Amino acid sequence: MEEQLEKVLSEIVTQHDTVGALLANRQGLCLGAKGNINPNVSGIGMAISEQVAKLEPNNTVPATICLYSGNKRCVIQKDGEITGIIYKQTATTSTSATN
Amino acid sequence: MSDDIKKYFNGLLHKVSGLYVIQITDRDGVPLLRVSHNQEKNVDFALMPSFIPTFTTACDQASKLGLGRNKTIISMYSNYQVVQMNKLPLILTFVGAEDCNTGHILALEHQVDGYLEDIKLAVTEP
Repeated sequence: MEEQLEKVLSEIVTQHDTVGALLANRQGLCLGAKGNINPNVSGIGMAISEQVAKLEPNNTVPATICLYSGNKRCVIQKDGEITGIIYKQTATTSTSATN
Repeated sequence: MSDDIKKYFNGLLHKVSGLYVIQITDRDGVPLLRVSHNQEKNVDFALMPSFIPTFTTACDQASKLGLGRNKTIISMYSNYQVVQMNKLPLILTFVGAEDCNTGHILALEHQVDGYLEDIKLAVTEP
């Protein structure tokens, strides 16, 4: 039943620097998760996207939220009833260690 | 101590949009703590004498399905949603709007554990 969803999530996780991906429904419940991501963050991710949407209520284009933390990034986008959350992690550069 | 706990749960109530009530009871439905929006809908049904014991019974029956101990029951109604968590000897009940963020409520489960320990002590002490 959720084969298509699984396929999309697998494609997202294979992208460069991506470590985990998750999709949530309008109730903030996890529809599917792939990779290194906790399914429990679906509700909080959706809550963040809802709060951000209030900043520009007249904007029809869904906002993309990017949270930076060290070498990790969390990208959240709400589109209609579905909210996508992607975790990205950039490899630490060895140049800074050698300098 | 009780004021701190109440303040904490009041904070939680305001963090989740559409959440009307958080209440902590024992397994018989005896209220221990309740925080609610004063101006919001009347959700006194959550303190009806049959409400919590019905959850306790449903929880006990659900635990017999062979899937392990039942932890949470989510009930969706036309105007409300009720999320009840089995934290024996305590029962945690969240009542919210039908379009409230259920996932956010479920994510609170682990956050409140520390605060529930203090209340558990009060319930279990002889």
